[in-house]
Amino acid sequence: MFYLITLLIYGAVDVIACLGLSQQFGVAGVTNFGFIIFQAAGAYVAASLALPSDTANGGYQIYIGGLHLPFPMPLIGAALAGALLALPFTFLVGRRLRGDFAAIGLLVTAVLLNLLVTDYRPLFNGDAGVAQVPAPLQSGIFILSSTTYRWVFVAAVIVLAAGVYMFLRRITESPYGRTLRAMRDNDKVADSLGKNLVSLRTGVLVLGGAIAGLSGGVLVSFISVWSPAAWSYAETIVLFAAVIIGGAGNHRGAILGAILVPVGFEEVTRLITNSNPSLPPNLLPSLQWVAIGLLIVLFLWFRPQGVLPERKRLIAVPAPAAGREGEPPAGPAASAHDGQGLLTRGEAARARKGAAGGDDILQAVGLSRDFGGVQAVSGVTFTIRRATLTGLIGPNGAGKSTLLALLAGTDRPSAGTILYNGHDITALPAFRRARMGLVRTFQLASEFKRLTVMENLLSAAPGNRGDSFRGAVAGRRYWRGDEAAAIARATDILRRFGLDKLANDYAGDLSGGQRRLVEIMRALMAEPDVLLLDEPMAGVHPELARRIGDTLVGLCREGLTILMVEHELAIMDEFCDPVIVMAQGSLLAQGTMAQLRERTEVVEAYLVG
Amino acid sequence: MSLFLASVGFGLITSAVLAIASVGFTLQFAVTDVLNLAFAAVMTAGAFVAYWVNQAGVSVWIGLAAAMVACSVLSVLLNLAVYAPFQRRGTSPITLVIVSLGMALIIEFGIQAVVGGVNVSYSMGQGRTFRAGGLVLTTVQIVIIAISVAVMAAVHVLLRYSRLGKAMRATAANRTLARNCGIRASRVITITWAITGGLCGLAGAVFAIDIGSFGPTSDDLFLILILAAVFLGGPGDAYGAMIGALVIGLGTEVSAAYIQPDYKYVIAFVALLAMLALRPTGLLGARARG
Repeated sequence: MFYLITLLIYGAVDVIACLGLSQQFGVAGVTNFGFIIFQAAGAYVAASLALPSDTANGGYQIYIGGLHLPFPMPLIGAALAGALLALPFTFLVGRRLRGDFAAIGLLVTAVLLNLLVTDYRPLFNGDAGVAQVPAPLQSGIFILSSTTYRWVFVAAVIVLAAGVYMFLRRITESPYGRTLRAMRDNDKVADSLGKNLVSLRTGVLVLGGAIAGLSGGVLVSFISVWSPAAWSYAETIVLFAAVIIGGAGNHRGAILGAILVPVGFEEVTRLITNSNPSLPPNLLPSLQWVAIGLLIVLFLWFRPQGVLPERKRLIAVPAPAAGREGEPPAGPAASAHDGQGLLTRGEAARARKGAAGGDDILQAVGLSRDFGGVQAVSGVTFTIRRATLTGLIGPNGAGKSTLLALLAGTDRPSAGTILYNGHDITALPAFRRARMGLVRTFQLASEFKRLTVMENLLSAAPGNRGDSFRGAVAGRRYWRGDEAAAIARATDILRRFGLDKLANDYAGDLSGGQRRLVEIMRALMAEPDVLLLDEPMAGVHPELARRIGDTLVGLCREGLTILMVEHELAIMDEFCDPVIVMAQGSLLAQGTMAQLRERTEVVEAYLVG
Repeated sequence: MSLFLASVGFGLITSAVLAIASVGFTLQFAVTDVLNLAFAAVMTAGAFVAYWVNQAGVSVWIGLAAAMVACSVLSVLLNLAVYAPFQRRGTSPITLVIVSLGMALIIEFGIQAVVGGVNVSYSMGQGRTFRAGGLVLTTVQIVIIAISVAVMAAVHVLLRYSRLGKAMRATAANRTLARNCGIRASRVITITWAITGGLCGLAGAVFAIDIGSFGPTSDDLFLILILAAVFLGGPGDAYGAMIGALVIGLGTEVSAAYIQPDYKYVIAFVALLAMLALRPTGLLGARARG
């Protein structure tokens, strides 16, 4: 009986931990190889808060704290400890560092913290660890004395695990959760759409840390001991195996994985050991680790999506405008957008326009960028006028894409200044520029692969109340109106580009041309004032390219400013005025296509290039 | 003063062993794009191959060569059977890191399942002891340092002056471009696995000689030192890894003499995190890869 209780507690604790990891790794794409240290922090802090001062026990164990606080303070402290421990790691998951490097940093941290706690006895009694941690609502040495108490404990922990599941589902299924998944699929693009990666990842680390800490606190309250052996870095790998096997990105998968891997393995090992007492003592634990390694590799090869794959979020596409009149408006924001076309600009965009003065919306002054001696862009100065469709041409390697990256903030200039609406934005990161209305697209396919087309568009909608942690916690009722408005606008855009039939297809499954469209539509969803397009028509059917061009010209008439990199001179001729010519990193000429054709150096640059 | 010199002696040996491993690890990453966390497990395999050869009554220095060959073969197979198929499928770098962690478990605990959990040591003499001031080194330790210096020189010659080295550097800089320039990238990559695997096996056996008694999990912590040296020097930079190994090796051992030996790895830890935070491209900081 006691064995069953222990198994249930361990199972529920593993479920809680795996849910936290699933949120970090599966949903947000933050690979936290140090996950176990957050659980350990929670366990130690819970122990330290629940235990009496170490002078009271005759000194056989030493530890800091010993506040002897009543339930539920130790558990609250455990969750807080996990959350706070996440803060120092914020710098590791920022924008500049590759995800795998950050993961290595966390792995190394996990190994060395374990070493430190093992060797430094005054902190938590070193290698031996802390023992006799009082159980909640019990006092003295009569710990876990009655069976009823244990069953209540089991029930409470299972309820807690269910609560964590519900909470995480609420977060993941919100617009904020969609942003996290977009960041997972392509962080650079999410950045360019106005998502603050540092703050998003910090949030993910803190929330996952709190959940891990809570799981540690619960565990130590039950088993009453905690030592470095319980949280070696390898334990993190077990949790990863569980989440990968269960299905990363699907919280139910995480629950299944927690039951299959950590719990299942312990059970199988115990059964084999019991029936074959003659086996060498080291063999089974070794084989257990080999099996976990094999499972990770085999699953990543044969079924990377896990047993329970992330499910598709289907969003009903509203009927065409004519048929929508009978329906009640979904919310105040939605009705404001009703009946307006594709170019409906949100409140944010209108506010920005009101504040802006002058005709020169975007200026580059002496802009340069060198890569280890190679001048990709050197001393480029130009001005983009409001509501124009400016073309940017030049031979391969002229620095067009680099220039675009500098303007959007994806890359930083070595020298020079960028002015936007008269403000110096040179030092601003990409997401801030995007929020100011300066939005770019990418030359290479950059759709969020595991989001549907509709979700790709929705992810870019600014000002959704549900697109923040607090908004997500507040629940669907809080953000339903904004979401409906965004869906209505996305539907309009989809119809305009003829992709409404594919709204619920995964963007990663589309053809190359369709993906380009998704990217342009997504950029439009971000309500830009200036749109920087990097070869939007490359690989698109000529007929469709013409339609895109016409749409872009129409947008400019309504006040949008576009700077477009393009190779096809015919397209420049037809749609762009003025045109900027670049060659070898420098600005060669600027004018209408007719003017440019007169100039020999331009023609030469093209012929040579 | 003699304490200082003695700790410098330890530091030099640790650096020498670490340099062989770190250069192997960083070259592997640079050319093949695999951040191979199974590196230390392969080292362990090498150490045990040398042990079995040694047990058969052969000198451990012959065992060293056997370890190099075995790990070379093991690394090539690891790539052909596991990493290359994943890469061909377009698996993301972070997933590949998780795969390599899985392989690390399989190899390390596969060895443990075979040999059991007890520690073993080579049967070998330590040779004469040399003293200079407080610096104390045995013949074996001097040989280890000499091997390491020779390996570093060989790597330098390989990278700077040989066709293969140039092809490796080109493949590291841009695999597609290298292929378009007529470099048979897949062959270069296989050869790189063979060479770095050999370095890995050498490092494994030399490390086992250095620590005296070793077991299947002895290399776990050493992997952390390798990672610290590699990241300190900038991932993918062989010369950076050499400097990183020297800094980490001396740093850990000298600090061990002055603070409690238990905390000597803190230096490596702080160095690694500081580099990741401030200069992810490493000390020499040339180019950000990937």
